[in-house]
Formats: sequence, structure tokens, C-alpha cells
Amino acid sequence: MALRELSSLEKFLGLKKPNKYSTQGDKKVPVLQSNNGPALVGLVTIACHLVKEAKRPELLGDSAESRAVVQQWLEHRVTKLDGCTKEDVKTVLKDFNLYLQDKVYLAGNQFTLADIFMYYGIHSLIVELAIQEKEQYMNVTRWFDHIQHYPSIRHHLPPVAVLRNRIYTGRHH
Amino acid sequence: MALNFTINTSNPPLGALLAAEHVKGSVQVSVEEGKDTQLHVSDAIQFNDANSISRYLARVAPSLGLYGANMMEQTEVDHWLEFSARRLCGQPGLTVALGELDKALSLRTFLVGHAITLADLSVWAALKGHKEWPNQGKSFSHVNRWFSFLSSQVPFSSVGNKYTTKKA
Repeated sequence: MALRELSSLEKFLGLKKPNKYSTQGDKKVPVLQSNNGPALVGLVTIACHLVKEAKRPELLGDSAESRAVVQQWLEHRVTKLDGCTKEDVKTVLKDFNLYLQDKVYLAGNQFTLADIFMYYGIHSLIVELAIQEKEQYMNVTRWFDHIQHYPSIRHHLPPVAVLRNRIYTGRHH
Repeated sequence: MALNFTINTSNPPLGALLAAEHVKGSVQVSVEEGKDTQLHVSDAIQFNDANSISRYLARVAPSLGLYGANMMEQTEVDHWLEFSARRLCGQPGLTVALGELDKALSLRTFLVGHAITLADLSVWAALKGHKEWPNQGKSFSHVNRWFSFLSSQVPFSSVGNKYTTKKA
């Protein structure tokens, strides 16, 4: 999974030459052997490296604050979201929903790497949601639909059908 | 084709100015300050209404998609243009209109489709120029998020700063 995400990121960044990755350990942690240095290990580490290689530093945040927020969500992705159990799903979605209430992107008004990797990571949870649940977590749904339509992000993932108007408006969340 | 856009500086048509900013890479538009708002296309054709000007500018630069990507979206854009002119421009009943707008924006980043359209420009401009909007903002979280998102983007920030301070 992680390897497909990295290759989708390469396409998004417009990197001409696809890298070859290997994996390490039971959890299949991705490894990139660079030509002129030590091997890079870990999804987030490699992703940040690719962003720098493509000279798109703004994707890591353009202020000290937004850089911290981006790293926080990248870490959240690999520590909380990956390997989150069935019981955790509701809490994860509830917290994420609350966070996105007043934001278009994770770092506020600016699209960053955090949006890309949270989208890749949360895709399998969103696919499972019923229409009513998607509406319950409407801030997540809105953000998700926006990111899946963001130019050249989706690549390896199937589109998720999302309603653009609420139908369960009687309930308040 | 060079277009001549004159704006009334005491009541600047923000929506049309935003449309002009968006299309300036594809169409030649010169903006001048004057007494009346008018888009001079030729000696035979002029537009005076802000929405007509926006519509015309969006149509002469179709590649930008400001009028939506298909017929359905085009109709939605028309809906919001009328909504902004009738329900938001200094009319009473702003709270009800904001309630509807808030509901529409709960699952949308942009009003129509997945990118900026005239709908966003025109509704944003109507709120920006509305005296009561700043007090009402807090009660409508979706409208508020959408409004500050657009306000942070170029050309919204530049047009907003340039023409609303002048008005005050």
C-alpha cells in the first residue's frame, strides 16, 4: 500500500523517473536507496524527500506554524490512522470531523502533503461508510471529496461517491 | 480584442472586478476608475450590470471554467448569481439567506463543482460589501470557512484590500 502511495505521489509531483523501493520488516516499511547517500526509511521520510526533490517546499507548509501542523498530521497518519482498529474508527472520524469544521485543508487555507497522505490513509475507512454516516462526519466528507477531485491526486484509489447536499438535515451534529 | 472596464469607485462592483482579475491572462481587459460601472465591448455593445459583466467575461474566457464545466453547473452558477443579487445585496432577511447558504456549503468547498466559478465570486463579493455580514459571520460556520478561505486567496485578497478600504 505504502509503495503505491509513494508512486502516486511521484506522479502528482511530476517526477520523471520513478524510484525503486524495497520494504523492511513485517510492517513492510518502505525503503528508498538513494544514489549518493544512506537509505531513507519510512513513508513520511521518503515522501518529504520526494517533495524536496521536486522543488515543491510549499507542500510541507509555508510558515513555521503550518510546517509543524503538516508534520503533526503526517505523524498522525502513520501512528493513529494506520492500524486503527474497528473500535477506534468512530473516535478517529469524530475528532477529524471536529478539526475540519473551520478548515478547507489540514493546514488551513493551503493544500499540503498532509492532505495527500491523510486522504490516502483514510480512503479505506470512507469507502466503508454508509450515506448517513458520511453526512454525520460531514466536514470529513467535504474535505475528502475536495481532495479526491484535486488535480492528479487520486491515481491508485477508486473514486468514492459523495452526496453534495445533505439529506438527513433533521439531525444536528 | 481589448475590453474597457470602467468602475464606479464609490460603489465598486467587486464580483465583476474579481472576474476581470481571473480572466486577465486570457482576455485583455483594462480597468479604469470613473463615475459609472460599465464594460465597453464595442461602440454597439456595453454592459452596466455587475452580473452581466461577470457573465460576459466568463464566457469570453471559457477555458477558465468560471461558468462551470457542464450545463448543470452553468444553471447552478446562474442560481447563485441571482441569489447574490436578490438575497444578499443590502436586502432584508440576510439571516435566512445565510442559513440557506450555510446548508449548501456544508458539503462543498466551492459553491459549484470542484473549482472556483462566478458563483463564488459573486456571493463572496455580495457578503464582502454587506454591512451586516461581519456580525453574522460567527453563527454560520460553513459560510465563514468558505469566506475566509476565498479571502486568503489571490485575487480575492488584492481586490478586497484595494477596493473596500476606498469605499469606507
